[in-house]
Amino acid sequence: MRRLRTVIVTLTLAAAGIAAAADSAPIRIGAILPLTGSGASYGVWMKGGAEIAAEEINAAGGIAGRKLEIVFDDHAADASKAVNAMRRLVEVEKVPFTLTSYSAPTLAIQPIGAQHHVVMMNGGGQSDNLANKDYLYNNIPVVSNEVGVIADWLARDKKLRTAALVTANDEAGRNSAKTFRDKYAAAGGRVVAEEQVTLDGTDFRAQLAKLKAAGGELLYINSYGRNVAIIADQARELGITIPLAGTSWTLVPETFKSPGAEGMLTTKLPFDPELPFAKKFRAKYGVDAGFFAVQYYTGTKIFARAAEEAMKKSGGRLDGDGVKQAIESLKVFDTISGKLVFQPNHAALMDIEAGVLRGGKVQVEKVIKASH
Amino acid sequence: MAAYLAHYLVMAAIYTILALSLNLLIGYAGIFSLAHAAIYGIGAYASALVALRFGFGFWGGLVIAALVGALAAALVAIPSLRAAGDYYLVASFGLQVVILTVFMNWTELTNGHAGLPAIPRPVVFGWVVDTPFKYVALALALAALTYLVCQRLTSSPFGRVLQAVRDDEIAAAAMGKDVVRVKIVVAVLSSALGAVAGSLYAHYITYINPSSFTLHESIFIATLVILGGTERLAGPLVGAFLLLAIPEALKFLAIPDAVAAPVRQILYGGLLVLFMFVRPEGILGRRRVRSTRAAAGAAS
Amino acid sequence: MDLVLQLFATGVVVGSLYALCTLGWGLIYGTTLHFHVAHGAVFTLAAYYAYVGQKVVGLPLPVAAVAAVILAAASGLLIDRLLYQPLERRGAVRTTLFIASLGTLILVENTLAIVFTPDPLRMDIGILQTSIRLGPVFLTALHLLTVALVIVAAAALMLFLRHTRSGQAIRAVASAPEMARTVGVDLRRIHLLTYAIGSAISAPAGILVAMDVGAEPYRGTTFVLLASVGVIMGGIGSIPGALLGGLFLGLIENLGVWKIPSEWQSALSFGVFLLFILVRPRGFFGRRVASAEL
Repeated sequence: MRRLRTVIVTLTLAAAGIAAAADSAPIRIGAILPLTGSGASYGVWMKGGAEIAAEEINAAGGIAGRKLEIVFDDHAADASKAVNAMRRLVEVEKVPFTLTSYSAPTLAIQPIGAQHHVVMMNGGGQSDNLANKDYLYNNIPVVSNEVGVIADWLARDKKLRTAALVTANDEAGRNSAKTFRDKYAAAGGRVVAEEQVTLDGTDFRAQLAKLKAAGGELLYINSYGRNVAIIADQARELGITIPLAGTSWTLVPETFKSPGAEGMLTTKLPFDPELPFAKKFRAKYGVDAGFFAVQYYTGTKIFARAAEEAMKKSGGRLDGDGVKQAIESLKVFDTISGKLVFQPNHAALMDIEAGVLRGGKVQVEKVIKASH
Repeated sequence: MAAYLAHYLVMAAIYTILALSLNLLIGYAGIFSLAHAAIYGIGAYASALVALRFGFGFWGGLVIAALVGALAAALVAIPSLRAAGDYYLVASFGLQVVILTVFMNWTELTNGHAGLPAIPRPVVFGWVVDTPFKYVALALALAALTYLVCQRLTSSPFGRVLQAVRDDEIAAAAMGKDVVRVKIVVAVLSSALGAVAGSLYAHYITYINPSSFTLHESIFIATLVILGGTERLAGPLVGAFLLLAIPEALKFLAIPDAVAAPVRQILYGGLLVLFMFVRPEGILGRRRVRSTRAAAGAAS
Repeated sequence: MDLVLQLFATGVVVGSLYALCTLGWGLIYGTTLHFHVAHGAVFTLAAYYAYVGQKVVGLPLPVAAVAAVILAAASGLLIDRLLYQPLERRGAVRTTLFIASLGTLILVENTLAIVFTPDPLRMDIGILQTSIRLGPVFLTALHLLTVALVIVAAAALMLFLRHTRSGQAIRAVASAPEMARTVGVDLRRIHLLTYAIGSAISAPAGILVAMDVGAEPYRGTTFVLLASVGVIMGGIGSIPGALLGGLFLGLIENLGVWKIPSEWQSALSFGVFLLFILVRPRGFFGRRVASAEL
């Protein structure tokens, strides 16, 4: 009898010891980002934002005393790579949560996350198909919101009623084009032609020549990343003089430097370059922060808040379901850009600004407030 | 660690099927095709689509993939009847590019660049294959089956005709062997098996998109065959298992992600060149009789 | 109509780039029968030589370009000297040479990708960027230079092959190597010369593309594939054929998108080629050659 009690006590102490060790083990989450390739500029922002957030969280004591570690992976705009990264995160690292980016890669990993009960937070992809998906949350508005704003502004305010489209031949580009057609038509506009481009292509003259011949009062770009600047410059080279237009995802450093993109009509999601975060980013990475840097800073902070909540409710245990329930019940998060509210469709609403790109900055002409 | 090992074994098995099937073309029929990744992709898409659109099970998908692959073999075989050697090589490049473009742009069917996610797990004899260990068992079983099929073929009287065609097509035709029939049969079998590998891949990764089936992939599969050795049946098997171990070994060297892929390619490219100097017949190959013409050239 | 003219013009420019590649690759293939895919590596190296010359060493653009051509010629020559010739001495069959060539292409491309990253590296092309308007057609000075260059290169090559001793020796080797050796032609020297000239002719294509859209490590593979397609379509062993084959490819690519969606561009070129092979394997001007054995 005494031996049995000794055994029980020893086992209990051992279990407590193991639990204690687990309690102080770091919390690891994933981040699947465009670190190389045509979207590498976004990758710099996204990784930097997440890293700064993790630093701040750990400096303040971590999440319930545990350090936060982010495992970064590169998808290079290829959904297959994202899937491989996700499988590693889920099967080997066993993370409860991962940051994700881009539409096609996120759509590709979502079933895996849903099956393994891992929460995914998308701060960059905007395809409408990203809404209403299990375990996937988007702290960015889906493209319909932005496209709706610009389509309306171009047709009604700027009175440009016919458009030629340049569309990236991927999920995000195609979805954006479809939405643009609908919203533009609703605002009294008409699409006269559409041509497809690849994200990593370098010569779009054939497509642009066809679009030029189709006429139209504006050239609308359903593409993003490095090729936007090339499209703009080659369009001007071919003698296309009509205005260019696009949404916020066209605003990468290459675009700011492109002479052809000067005067582009664009929407912009809120980003305040005077934020302390922006200064910290500049100091640490030597480049100006952008909207997407804030997005992934916010995404990381949302995780920290939700994880804390989940561990409080479960007595110290952390898993994907706990994080999911915490996000659903909290719904509203305080971020450095203001309040973020997750809609029932798992996407967020934000104020959207419309303006003209001049000298690397967008001169805002109109603000459409988000209606919560 | 166990998960890493399991993943390696499954991929090695898939590439064994691909290499064995390509070797039927290269090593046994003398048809140097660089379009095998396109066939692989056709099998993957066929299997994934019937599962996603029509609810076919794993075996149904496998059979459909094999059938579609066999039909696609016509694309591989017909040019080989009109063009030999270098002409065929270029034609197979062309075929690979055209099929990949179809994958990318026939979006109504393939969903294009976005790919096909949520491919269902295989159900084998009532068991759902959803753990690494179960996948390893399934993949190795299919690889073993492929090996047996190839072995039956090559050691049969038909297999001897194959080798005669490979060694000297004109002489074989002169001896009355129906060279056309031989090429078609081999192409059909090779493509059916390559498509089966695609089916297995689709149900393992549960997601496919065109980027897995490019010309680079075709070159990679050909590399496995060449380095393993085209003369012996087990050559491609050795090629697949050894060469897939390279990226795994590289993981222990802490190479930054951004350069990991080019480093891997440099190793493969370097091995190809090295082997051509040191052991052109491949790891398991038998040393071939040096062509007298080349030897005479060397003497000048 | 304006559109067709513009597409035609772009087609001629791109076709000229392809023609520079077919001329060079065709010369090498016709003379040595090596399926020299590593020619793609030479094409890519030329681009990076020019980039480094201008952006790293600080040379003026024309100097950097000429230096790049010379270095590319040397690179091509070295590939024959260090790769093909030693392998041939060991009795390698043509498949072996092809595999070694492929391995070399992969090696070079990926080394460049590590050293320079896979992103396109732009050069400063100054006045070559100026837009030039020919009626409804918009081109840049760079594009006109491209077309001019291929005309000069093709003419120079024809003159060389017809009127110089070395050129005639190359033609002799191309049509009957055994006979050439019997009359005392040093095959190895002729091969080296062929590689140098062939590489020098195609190098400008790599440099011009780099000047237009930036140097990229993996572009050479596409260009050498298209070069082989162009050579076969034009007819092996024919210079006018190579020229025509290259131009034809450029025109199909660009005029083709007039009616079909542009994303099917590459499928169109290769699709036409596949039809060609079934219908007229010897190409536009080829001799009736027995199917070249690999």
